[in-house]
Amino acid sequence: MNTNFSRLIGVFALAALVQSARAELKWEQTSVDLRPAFNDKQAVAHFKYENVGNTPIHFKSVHASCGCTTAQTQNEQVAPGQKGEITATFNIGGRTGTQVKTVTVQTDDPEPSTIVLTLKAVITPLLEFQPTLVYWQNGEEPKPKIITAKANKDAAVKKLDIASSTPDFTAKVDAGSAPNEFRISVQPRDTTKAVYATLTIKPDSPANTGNMFAAAARVMPPVPTSGTAITPSTKAAVSTVRHDLATPAPTAGSPRQ
Amino acid sequence: MKVSAVRQALLLIALALVPAIGEAIYFRDKVSWQSPDRSSEMVNLDQAQSWGANAIWVDARPDNEFERDHIPGAIPLNEDRWNELLPTLLAQWSLEKKIVVYCSSQSCNASREVARRLRDEAGLKEVFVLQGGWETWLKSKR
Repeated sequence: MNTNFSRLIGVFALAALVQSARAELKWEQTSVDLRPAFNDKQAVAHFKYENVGNTPIHFKSVHASCGCTTAQTQNEQVAPGQKGEITATFNIGGRTGTQVKTVTVQTDDPEPSTIVLTLKAVITPLLEFQPTLVYWQNGEEPKPKIITAKANKDAAVKKLDIASSTPDFTAKVDAGSAPNEFRISVQPRDTTKAVYATLTIKPDSPANTGNMFAAAARVMPPVPTSGTAITPSTKAAVSTVRHDLATPAPTAGSPRQ
Repeated sequence: MKVSAVRQALLLIALALVPAIGEAIYFRDKVSWQSPDRSSEMVNLDQAQSWGANAIWVDARPDNEFERDHIPGAIPLNEDRWNELLPTLLAQWSLEKKIVVYCSSQSCNASREVARRLRDEAGLKEVFVLQGGWETWLKSKR
């Protein structure tokens, strides 16, 4: 009986010892939702922590899930009671929609040694196009085709200025069926020769800081069929496209760059 | 003896199930139960190479990785500089061409995202994602 009791006491003492020497990193939050403004180039999340244990904790590694995100710790070692944060910076670039990026943190804290921090950013660009490319088959009737541009409602876009990189296409802008929507009507002058044009679109908005956007229009080269002789018109069409590829039309910058 | 062993095994399984079910419920919003892979969009290297000149290879990796090395003839198109890089691809695309997008490895997501945008935003058809990405290409060349 006495032996059993002594053992029990021993187990409790050991448990108490282990408990008293614990290290524990407590996170304020491991998931952050961000809604960057349409002009923002980066979305930054702060993951705050505190060592609520009584032994120091060391960060072994901090690793972001993609090259578009960087993560930094303030300190490599966190003393008992010390607070700090890991900053995750997500470079938006030309991304749109909901983006989920993670940062994996490894520490010498035994339970748990690996923490996954999640940054979720909902990116609504200044302008969205549907589709970004309109094209005509060679010889197709040169009817206008529509690109719908949807402007971010916070940007208060009043109108769009559009210019084609070649005179082979005309483009005009009308109001769309919904608020903040525009209809871009694109029409080729001729569909017998292959041409490519970049349509540069500039939104007239007090919030716009000179950003321009791009869509594209093409008349496709004739589809080569086996045994078909290359006619002068086919040759001309192919050479036009090659010329366009060799000297690509100037493209609009990213909306956030 | 045998019955006892089976009983113990069942007991262990039952005990293991309790935390497993608890974890599944607790983390139900954090686990992706639906794979983002669309099997129809995936293409393996042999198949993509068999398309020959009818394939346009698109490199969805960051600029520095593309500059280091890439599949011969590949066009860079990553989301860091989407608006700047997209016109080059659109100028080369034609209806009979198949687009094969790749990123670093099987686990990267950039190629799927680029492929999705080419379909949804540019309206391109026949857009595929290379299984295994750049790693698979490198292995095939060794």
